[in-house]
Amino acid sequence: MPENPATSDDAVLEVRDLAKSYPVRQGLVLKRTTGHVQAVDGVSLALRRGRTLGLVGESGSGKSTLARVLVGIEKPTRGQVLVDGEDVSTMSRGARRELRRNVQMVFQDPYTSLNPRMSVGEIVAEPYRIHPDAVPRTGRRKAVAELLALVGLDPDHVHRYPHQFSGGQRQRIGIARALAVKPRVLVCDEPVSALDVSVQGQVINLLEDLQDELGLSYLFIAHDLAVVQHIADEVAVMYLGRVVEEGDRPAVYKCAHHPYTRALLSAVPVPDPAARSAGTELLLEGDPPSPADPPSGCRFHTRCWLARRLAAEQGLAGDGPDDVPERCRTEDPVLVPLGRGDGARGAAVPHAAACHFAHRAAAFDGRPAAVVPEDAGPDVGPDIEPDIEPDAGLDAGLDADFDPEATLDPATGRAVLRPTRPDHVTETVPDPAVLESRER
Amino acid sequence: MRGMTGMEIDISGAFDPAGPDDDAQGQVPTERTAGATLLEVDDLAVEFRSDDGAVRAVDGLSYRVEAGRTLALVGESGCGKSVSSLAVMGLLPPTARVVRGSARYRGTDLLALSPAKHRAHAGTHVAMVFQDALAALNPVHTVGYQLTEALRARSGLSRREARRRAIELLDLVKVPNAAGRVDEYPHQFSGGMRQRVMIASALALDPDVLIADEPTTALDVTVQAQVLRLLAEIQAERQMGLVLITHDLGVVAGVADDVTVMYAGRAVEHAPVRDLYAAPAHPYTRALLRSVPRLDAGADGDRLPVVPGRPPVPGRVPSGCPFHPRCDMARDVCRTDVPPLADAAPERSSACFFAAELLGGARA
Repeated sequence: MPENPATSDDAVLEVRDLAKSYPVRQGLVLKRTTGHVQAVDGVSLALRRGRTLGLVGESGSGKSTLARVLVGIEKPTRGQVLVDGEDVSTMSRGARRELRRNVQMVFQDPYTSLNPRMSVGEIVAEPYRIHPDAVPRTGRRKAVAELLALVGLDPDHVHRYPHQFSGGQRQRIGIARALAVKPRVLVCDEPVSALDVSVQGQVINLLEDLQDELGLSYLFIAHDLAVVQHIADEVAVMYLGRVVEEGDRPAVYKCAHHPYTRALLSAVPVPDPAARSAGTELLLEGDPPSPADPPSGCRFHTRCWLARRLAAEQGLAGDGPDDVPERCRTEDPVLVPLGRGDGARGAAVPHAAACHFAHRAAAFDGRPAAVVPEDAGPDVGPDIEPDIEPDAGLDAGLDADFDPEATLDPATGRAVLRPTRPDHVTETVPDPAVLESRER
Repeated sequence: MRGMTGMEIDISGAFDPAGPDDDAQGQVPTERTAGATLLEVDDLAVEFRSDDGAVRAVDGLSYRVEAGRTLALVGESGCGKSVSSLAVMGLLPPTARVVRGSARYRGTDLLALSPAKHRAHAGTHVAMVFQDALAALNPVHTVGYQLTEALRARSGLSRREARRRAIELLDLVKVPNAAGRVDEYPHQFSGGMRQRVMIASALALDPDVLIADEPTTALDVTVQAQVLRLLAEIQAERQMGLVLITHDLGVVAGVADDVTVMYAGRAVEHAPVRDLYAAPAHPYTRALLRSVPRLDAGADGDRLPVVPGRPPVPGRVPSGCPFHPRCDMARDVCRTDVPPLADAAPERSSACFFAAELLGGARA
């Protein structure tokens, strides 16, 4: 329970099989519910004490909805939210409020998340109206001054208004407000993406200092994988309401096993013109499909470069969004641990991916594919791996589970994370009708 | 003609068929030879009216756009990178005015034209793509209608012709099922597709120069990669000059040929892209490069290098070198004197008194 900071890996905040859907209504007067948008669909995550969990995904992946459920702005349609192991939904209102106090939020846009008509002092002290017990009334003025100093602002500016501050300073105000009721968890929803590059680092470093100082746990939501790499201990990647890959940061970044994670990593611009290599990215086609109408089977199959590649190997045409292995189209992959290696290094979170062909994704290095049994999915046990020819590139992927530094494929000396683009991945134009329906 | 400065102006006459009085609808040859100068901005200065008097947003900016090449204007918010482009396009808000400088498009100083002629001329030959595609598109008109608005206004295209052309343009920017989507409205498009529509609309008049203002900032990283690739393809095909306005040094590294770094309304460094990343000649550039979070740095929980302070607000720019309060190399002279943009090495210039030191240190 709360008084046990020694065990740093017990979950301070946990969600189990969490789902949040929004009804889609049509009609101006008599609104009929015509469907549901599954914004979050069966997510289980655990945030450990004093750690940072990075949550990554594109717009529409459900990461912000998840954040809103976690801080109680939205009610889940299914599943549980546990704070310190206690299910929030089964508690009395008062107890729930007390627990909620422990989970506060830092919002993305410091320009719209601060009331322009309130002074900084009023903004930072506002949470005390909801949680009057957090700090006794007489101590609040001092508490606000301390909070401002804590986040690197001048306590004398307490009477100023948000417009008198820069973006970075406003984000500090937002952080001070979140810290006012002494929470133990901060849910940070894209806290630096609206800031200038030279200021982003300041806010990230501030968050890291505060974590050390106050023993905070962070759920850090961002689309920028480079930023997440700096701050996160563990990473979860979301696509269309699901977690498709999770694990310790080194495992996910250096040996991604889901084709979507690989593509995300590949799309991050590298600030080095010398690394400019025409078309080595795993370019995804189109936009993420609508969560109102997710694709069948694996939700990523309509944009998956690996599925098309596998289809080509199996003699399918491999150039349309439906030319993918049947399994990808029909069978919804579950998040499963990736066999050997996990735990051996004391990983806090077992590296897991939701892909039928996760090991193929990890092993992919741009060369013509070796022949691998079709069902060499994540459930392949360690016992059969030695049977596969090392040259297949498969070992490179699996060994990297053991050795997070292994970014090079030993066989080719090529970087595993920046594979050569197979032509059929990018030069295909998907069926327009499919793309079109996705956009709606 | 507005104030000229000492900077040498090199307009090759071969590409100057359009005199200053050229009709906006005149057919300027679209022939573009790689490397030919298309647009040359010289000593541009823009001021905003404010309660505290005139605020200088851009102060002495010069750059050159060449056919088939990409120039990146890099800087943080408030550095003047967007305002300078609005000035070139004749789209400054009423509170702003150009106080100095020229913007020569194939020899014609756009800034010397009447406002109407300026907009017409710039609108035909220099096109702009804005960051927020949803705000830039009109929600009550179909995409096809907006795509060809300029065409219908300028070349009197019939409705049917215009629709056919709109489909061609959507095809060009790889919007799937162009014929089906031309009659849809902006809200029916995703963010990435809207930005494609914006690009298509900018290409409608086959401009020589495309100014893209943070074209991918609002997009997801996977969609950003698609749009950047599209821009590069179209540029290579048409030998357009491309000006990419961005704060993202990752994006710049991937697409730019030349880079101008701006700070507090001025260019502080100009260099070919590889040189700039290999050895920045201005402390601000160096600080920016250091503060970009990198995937390849293996930064396992390292602290991010940080530039102290924040970019100055226009109107409250520090004396001397505007960067000196944040600079780890600042000396006395930096607090009093404004360093001019001067040659620092072949093909590159820096507005730092100690550029040579910076470059020398990098080589050592």
